[in-house]
Amino acid sequence: MMNRSVPFEIFRYATILLALAITLVPTLWMASMAFKPIAEWSAAGADLTWWPKNPTLDNFRFIFGTSTSDLIVALDRTAGKPILSSLLSAVFGTLIAMSCGTAAAYGLSRFGSGQNLPLALIQLRLFPPMAVMIPVMIMWAFLGLVDSWWGLALIYGIVTLPFAFWLMKTFFDDMPREIEDAALVEGCSRTRVFMKITLPMMRPALASSALFVFILNWSDYLIALLLTTREWVTIPVYMASLSSSMTGQLYGAKAALGLIAAVPPVVMGIAIQRHLVRGLTFGALKQ
Amino acid sequence: MTAIHLENLVKRFGAFTALKTMDLEIRDGEFMALLGPSGCGKSTTMNMIAGMEGPSEGRILFDGRDMNGVAMGRRGVGFVFQNYAIFTHMNVYDNLAYGLRVRGLPDAEIDSRVKKIADFLQLTPLLKQPSAKLSVNILQRLAIGRSAIVEPAIFLLDEPLSNVDAAFRAVMRTELKHLQRQFRQTMVYVTHDQLEAMTMADRIAVMDHGVLQQVGTPLEVYNNPVNLFVAGFIGSPGMNLLRGSLADSDRGLVVDLGELGLTAPLSPEVAAAARAHAGREVVYGFRPERVSLSVTGEGVPMPVTFVERIGARTIAHLGTGAQRVKAVFDNDVTAESGTTVSVAVEPASVRLFDAATGIAIREA
Repeated sequence: MMNRSVPFEIFRYATILLALAITLVPTLWMASMAFKPIAEWSAAGADLTWWPKNPTLDNFRFIFGTSTSDLIVALDRTAGKPILSSLLSAVFGTLIAMSCGTAAAYGLSRFGSGQNLPLALIQLRLFPPMAVMIPVMIMWAFLGLVDSWWGLALIYGIVTLPFAFWLMKTFFDDMPREIEDAALVEGCSRTRVFMKITLPMMRPALASSALFVFILNWSDYLIALLLTTREWVTIPVYMASLSSSMTGQLYGAKAALGLIAAVPPVVMGIAIQRHLVRGLTFGALKQ
Repeated sequence: MTAIHLENLVKRFGAFTALKTMDLEIRDGEFMALLGPSGCGKSTTMNMIAGMEGPSEGRILFDGRDMNGVAMGRRGVGFVFQNYAIFTHMNVYDNLAYGLRVRGLPDAEIDSRVKKIADFLQLTPLLKQPSAKLSVNILQRLAIGRSAIVEPAIFLLDEPLSNVDAAFRAVMRTELKHLQRQFRQTMVYVTHDQLEAMTMADRIAVMDHGVLQQVGTPLEVYNNPVNLFVAGFIGSPGMNLLRGSLADSDRGLVVDLGELGLTAPLSPEVAAAARAHAGREVVYGFRPERVSLSVTGEGVPMPVTFVERIGARTIAHLGTGAQRVKAVFDNDVTAESGTTVSVAVEPASVRLFDAATGIAIREA
């Protein structure tokens, strides 16, 4: 560790603080807002404070349709179904992307030749999703998949497959072949090597790739907006509808929903943090 | 307990030829070292024996059975990798038991065999430990144990000691030899470290640039190298090789060492073999260990340019220009750099090589 000068240290911490402020202030503002009564978050209140003066769970009750207070608007639906829709579509979309992506990545990493197929997969992401959404809408309508969580899960799986594939391919490429050869030379079949040796050693890689893919799916707005209408709208789409002509944007309700929406990625992140920090220790290899 | 026969083996990777025709007979129960500098084709040869790579041409026979097309899991070989390839998601016990479990042995037998091999390799206290955080020395023993436990007929080791520390390497050299004596496997050992090859192998196959240079017992390879490469590669330092020409004189056949202003006499055996080469350019080779300091003032005066003192031995670098010589003495030698010493070479230890082809001149 080299000795840094005092001005450099000041500059370093100032930069860190600035970066933290940019990311944390809106998040904390949202968290604070979620617990404020209407008078404190509406423009009419006009007295914006950092801490809620009269903390309340009213915003949460409101979006779940159990509010008894004076929020004027009546919601035509509650947040329960959108949360379920988001969970189902994001989880199954991630499962599709991860299982297909991992299998494809393993095959191409071990037995593939050339760069055409991997590049073809990544170029799926080179144009904006809007460019293909109209044909996708037509196809999904034809297949009867519009406004269903399974229809969303399928398109999520397809859209995030390139990410799952490329992340896993990099990890497979980095894994030394000797480890698999060591099992193969003992008479282990290729399938068994994959299931018993490769996949278990890849657990950290699988966990971090899955988290990345899940966050992409979880935070999608555009695709869900176009492919759902009423029954299976997701959290972001539902959140956009939280407004009324009388009060304008329902910031308190949005903040409460936002706080709920932040829970799954954070919980997943904490759950796999051990893997993320430790990284991959392939066979304790000394290269 | 299988003899291996490599027959006209060739391996090409695209335009690059890693191995140009290799013929080698490895006897049943023999400890064969494949020795050579990196890139000489020794690991490629090993990978083909294991079945990780297929040969471009030629055949590999185990006890006369052609192994071409036989999957590596069905060849009955054990393989120890240079980087150990330990399954880090398993503990030490599960790593050792792996090969036996794949073969579907009953748990009781697996348990007793794991305990036996763990005892032999001093891994018993570590059996329940996760393998991810073991030291390099222990990983090495574990890797050897995982392959040895299934008692393969052929045991292949690819530079297994190159990452471990020097003291442990000395221990493992003895233990590996002991292991092989106990199980009587056919062992093929790839290394670039001649000390490992010399101390453990029954025979050494010296390779360079994809060509097998010489096969022989450690002493044969050391005493009678077949060409200039083997002469320079084997031994530490390698053989001194001086250019000269064979000339007839009143003392019989001698080598005129030109620049050194010396005509070196030859022993009767060497002279007899070299008779047909009289008048030709030759390389005059002798081991640094065979150089002696002459006290009587006979011998050749040579300036000492550098002295390496390495414990029991002292290596003196002698001479300038093209004709330089290294000499190995005991550590009590008084030679200091900047002085001049008189040195002499035992005529019987001299080996002659054809300067044009590099091949040793020996009795036909």
